[in-house]
Amino acid sequence: GACRVSMSMTEIRAGFTAIKANIQSRDPIRTLSILSHPHSLHKVKSSDRCCITHLLFTFYVDKVFKHCRTEDSFVNRKISSIANSFLSVRRKLGQCREQNNCVCGEESTEKFKQILANYEGLNVTSAAMKSLGELDILLDWMEKSR
Amino acid sequence: SGELYCSLPNPRNVRFESINMRNVLHWSAPEGTGDGVLYKVKYTVYGVGKWIRKPECRNINRTWCDLSNETSDYEEQYYASVKAFLNGTCSDWMETTRFNPLTDTKIDPPMVSVSSTDKSISIILTAPEKWKRSPEEESISLLQVYPGIRYNLSVLNKKTKKRWFFSISNNSLVVPWLEPGTAYCVSAQIHVTTPLLDSGFSKEHCITTLKDK
Repeated sequence: GACRVSMSMTEIRAGFTAIKANIQSRDPIRTLSILSHPHSLHKVKSSDRCCITHLLFTFYVDKVFKHCRTEDSFVNRKISSIANSFLSVRRKLGQCREQNNCVCGEESTEKFKQILANYEGLNVTSAAMKSLGELDILLDWMEKSR
Repeated sequence: SGELYCSLPNPRNVRFESINMRNVLHWSAPEGTGDGVLYKVKYTVYGVGKWIRKPECRNINRTWCDLSNETSDYEEQYYASVKAFLNGTCSDWMETTRFNPLTDTKIDPPMVSVSSTDKSISIILTAPEKWKRSPEEESISLLQVYPGIRYNLSVLNKKTKKRWFFSISNNSLVVPWLEPGTAYCVSAQIHVTTPLLDSGFSKEHCITTLKDK
């Protein structure tokens, strides 16, 4: 069956929009993207979308949010609010995977390997901050492929 | 031009101004430089390694440069940068923030067409089109770019000044049970829930219902 997960996209978007300029200004590297190059999320086959989404939510929960503390309490609050939303969606996606409704094909595994390689090409804080600054790339892709 | 040590003040407030994904780079002249300043522009696709010069915006004296063509893929994000020159000296390159055409554009109000019977008015709304390179190019409605588009509508009874508000997802509405021979004015706004984008309200389109038969 299909994997249907409800999430508060508007809330996550609003949270990210509020800190986007702040977070992206901490990322001076123009020539490297974690999520969108060399392979764009928009090229992922529909059959792999659920798996890639689950892998990416796990990536953000395990490798990104916890390394993004800033000196700005407003920004930190927004980050933790987004992180909480991601945690709950990741849990629901995990249930889908347990019920075999979110199968990982070769393409999604390859795509995710590339994302991890991009991430590991930088030091942890830079990689985490860059990934957080690219949250709109993930959200744009998710909305487009709804 | 031979670039000496860059001591010229920098261009200021370098930013994209975008309407319906017509993406134009704007900036303000360096402080205190008066006339004669020339500029050049470059841009880069975020995550790709190279900056690309924009030839049509090389040695220009205006303070804007249309980069719609170069930033038309709204699945990508971009940076642009401007450098100023005057009397053999120059400024630093000054960059925009990261530009996401999908979330950072503004949307025009919808086109509104109205017709009436004696007791109702029919409203048809048309979402604006995405900027396109030339009239011959295929038109893309912003409906295709933002599947979650909704319309907010305001209908005013000019006589009683009573106003109704509607929020609809399809592009047409019939407002029934109106008074014959009465003027009604309609204004509409586009509302995209996520990413959150709202157009302004369109100017009012007024129509008078037919007199009683």
